[in-house]
Amino acid sequence: MKKPTIDISIGKDGKVKIKVHGVSGKECLALTEAVAKIIGKEESRQLTSEYFGDGGQVRTHGQTESHVRGG
Amino acid sequence: MSSVCVLTPMVVGSWPLIANAIAGTAASLGFTIAQHEREFEIGGANETERVEAEVANSEVVAETMGRAEKMTIERGGVRIEFGVDDRGRCTVCASGKGMAKRQLKAIADEVAGKVVQQFAYHKLMTELKQRKFRVLNESVGTDQAIQIQVQLDR
Repeated sequence: MKKPTIDISIGKDGKVKIKVHGVSGKECLALTEAVAKIIGKEESRQLTSEYFGDGGQVRTHGQTESHVRGG
Repeated sequence: MSSVCVLTPMVVGSWPLIANAIAGTAASLGFTIAQHEREFEIGGANETERVEAEVANSEVVAETMGRAEKMTIERGGVRIEFGVDDRGRCTVCASGKGMAKRQLKAIADEVAGKVVQQFAYHKLMTELKQRKFRVLNESVGTDQAIQIQVQLDR
């Protein structure tokens, strides 16, 4: 079974970009949200063909906020 | 790929955690941590300019009643003082003799951004390792972005 992989880029201004590979659907969303909770606030999200498990592509933009207190 | 997400870090933590990020920032940008409250040398033809900035989305969680947390770093005549304001935000004050406010503001913004980067990096690495992620690759790009690749061990 393919293991999920995440590419993370932390820019010099602190902005974080993550790309999740190797999983689709709910598992992909769960991993994305797990990392988002660690960091703080989600600015935008793009779902691509691998997410749907077919050739379709959908783009979404969100302003959700998950403010967590760090330790 | 299946998902691409852009996140803005919330720099929320105790002063020691944020001070660690400041120390990491100092090391990576060639600053040194100044000894307590040493004043700049007096003299010279130019006035000392000061500009204020803040670490974006920051909140220093107080562990004690006092708000005496301060840290100062220096590089080539530029002094950056970090502190905590009344609302708990991490403040950045840049000063330097013979420097324009615009130059100081650029330095303050660069340093403040780097603190966010360092904080996010340490928090991510700590939490991802706790969640059974394994680090496959780690590097710093020419654009100073930190690149990390992790894999879920299961």
